[in-house]
Amino acid sequence: MSKIVGIDLGTTLSEIAVMEGGEPKIIENREGARTTPSVVAMAKSGEILVGVQARRQQITNPQNTLFQVKRLMGRRFSDASVQQDRKMLPFEVREAQDGGVEVRMGDKWYKPAEISAMVLRKLKQDAEEKLGEKITEAIITVPAYFDDSQRKATKVAGEIAGLDVKRVLNEPTAAALAYGLNKKKDERIIVYDFGGGTFDISILEVSADTIEVKATGGDTHLGGEDFDQKVMDWIIEQFHKDQGIDLAKDPLALQRLKEAGERAKIELSTSLETEINLPFITSGTEGPKHLYYKMTRAQLENLVREYIDKSIALVKQTLQEAKFSPKDIDEVVLVGGQTRMPAMQEAVKELFGKEPNRSINPDEVVALGAAIQGGILQGEVKDVLLLDVTPLSLGIETLGGVNTVLIAKNTTIPTSKSQAFSTAADNQTSVDVHVVQGERPLAQDNKSLGRFILDGLPPAPRGVPQVEVTFDIDANGILNVTAKDKASQKTQSIRIEGSTGMSKEEVEQMRKAAEMHEEEDKKRKDAIEAKNTADTLIYTVEKTVRDAGDKIAEDLKKDITERLDILKKAKESDNVEEIKRVTEELSQIIQKAGAAMYKDQTPPK
Amino acid sequence: MEEQITQEELKKKLEETQKQRDEYLAGWQRARADFLNHKKEERERMQEFIKFAEEELLSELLPIVDNLELAFVQLKILNSNEGLGGKEDAVSKGFSQIAMQLKSFLKDHQVEELKAEGEKFNPEFHEAAGEVESPSTGSGQAGIESGTIVEVLSRGYTLHGKLIRPAKVKVAK
Repeated sequence: MSKIVGIDLGTTLSEIAVMEGGEPKIIENREGARTTPSVVAMAKSGEILVGVQARRQQITNPQNTLFQVKRLMGRRFSDASVQQDRKMLPFEVREAQDGGVEVRMGDKWYKPAEISAMVLRKLKQDAEEKLGEKITEAIITVPAYFDDSQRKATKVAGEIAGLDVKRVLNEPTAAALAYGLNKKKDERIIVYDFGGGTFDISILEVSADTIEVKATGGDTHLGGEDFDQKVMDWIIEQFHKDQGIDLAKDPLALQRLKEAGERAKIELSTSLETEINLPFITSGTEGPKHLYYKMTRAQLENLVREYIDKSIALVKQTLQEAKFSPKDIDEVVLVGGQTRMPAMQEAVKELFGKEPNRSINPDEVVALGAAIQGGILQGEVKDVLLLDVTPLSLGIETLGGVNTVLIAKNTTIPTSKSQAFSTAADNQTSVDVHVVQGERPLAQDNKSLGRFILDGLPPAPRGVPQVEVTFDIDANGILNVTAKDKASQKTQSIRIEGSTGMSKEEVEQMRKAAEMHEEEDKKRKDAIEAKNTADTLIYTVEKTVRDAGDKIAEDLKKDITERLDILKKAKESDNVEEIKRVTEELSQIIQKAGAAMYKDQTPPK
Repeated sequence: MEEQITQEELKKKLEETQKQRDEYLAGWQRARADFLNHKKEERERMQEFIKFAEEELLSELLPIVDNLELAFVQLKILNSNEGLGGKEDAVSKGFSQIAMQLKSFLKDHQVEELKAEGEKFNPEFHEAAGEVESPSTGSGQAGIESGTIVEVLSRGYTLHGKLIRPAKVKVAK
């Protein structure tokens, strides 16, 4: 049975994904890339090129290189948007006999759906190669505002490409699916899709068996490319001021600037500062000129502030038209590469007062959601098999108040983990199991989920008993913690509900707290571990000395006793360096004693 | 009095449960198989990954190599202007050698330069950055064929034979 693929047929870029092992996965094309430019061209040789190769020869062949064809699909020639877009498209666009649109490539005229079909065919063939199986069925996504005629054209494009289009799915709905939001009945979702060239807003409502589109908005000519332009303009202006040369007049320099500007913008999403370094950018009257500027994140944000503000204003407008207020929105989803920008995420978060969903690659989330829809139709995605993860680490409190993690955060459930622990003192007959949830190294700084005591342990020296602690979480997030003493077989357990049911806000908060306190937490944990090590050594040394009796020379014994006292005192202080140093010294001495004891052994008769 | 469940109903329930059991078992087996297959594919992916792990690092080196080459073009002009008759001065020679070192480094890591100048434009390996008029043909001299690469603005490179950066070129009209 062949798989149903999910295809995001975008205005500038397209992607294809499929379900594998219960999870959607993007399929790379023949060139090894995860995205395919939605560009088709007839080369001078007459060969038809699709994807990145078509884009590479665009400059030498502008009239026969077709791009952004999505803007023309299913439209009437007389549509205002078609007339507007015609102006910026270098290829010929004319009215078809039925009032639709036709585009020219080479000597032939094509319907936009035929051109999109070529992109779909490449995606299909490359995917078949990668997967090693035929693909005949697909889900293709479209903007939520596409009308019947546009959706039909999309379906036709699929059919021409040899695909049975099982469903034409709304892009925002696909994104919501990718985040599993279809399970959130009666909730309202807003999808903020800021791509390369278009900005789309969609308000969705999840009902019992469908996701309904309540409202749409946006700006079809606002995107990340406008941001790149602002950066470029800034660089050109600076250079003009500093060097008196207008780089806008130098096509070669402009190309380098465009690439550098885009790279700088992307870097500033993860760094606070970046540099734009272009030696030999051009030649002046006195010789070659070099360009070097530093740009901070704050500077970039100033440059594009008006676009971000505009997008927020458009969101407010769409909300108003749908008669909703930001408070009515339960979930926010970010789509499109530009949404990686921290300032944009902040603006959206501020408007809605909640963390947006952005953990899935925003360039791929729509294709992934479409693949999930394909999986649902094939029955591969059962509700019962959509598994959760633990949002935060789960552990128990061990000697010194340390948080010893048994199940790390983001582990898929159901799952089970066990670890053996022991006692801290001689003749300790019970252990206290304190279950905590969180990322901080000390138990007290995390959330306490519950505690219980396992007693009746047979008396034994410290470190000898074996108590196995098991954490078991079922598919519903119910955590069962069991402690079992291997010697007596005695067991005690506790059942904790809702360990996975934390709101995104709470999880974010705890994660941030861990990050903020990372330095000091590490120091505290270090100190505790140093003390624990010292403790264990003191115990071992005292025992050894006791057992050895006079097998240890007097002066050595004196040395050991002195060091023991120093260490005991050091332990009370908080001087970690001191504790570690004396621990090491004592360790060396007792080893010497041990070695001496071995030498003195009378050989067996 | 408790309601008795009829034999009919029991039979039906049993059938349903058996069907569900079969479905669950099949699903479980399939999931196990998927997992084992995934492990196998993971091993293969690791091999591919190791091979191309350096791709990103090496690709990021390329713009630096580009800038070095730009520098050398200028250096040549400078030297010829200064009447050294095209001979490199000692410092320039030193830089030349460092550049050679960088090029050897790339070669050692299976990064090869693409031959582009004079070749026919091929979008599989080349990216057109502009078109130029073919220089007018003199008396009887053959002009440059349309579609031929006349200038290479930045080199193209392959890694283990796979294209990692197309050559940016100017093509004859």
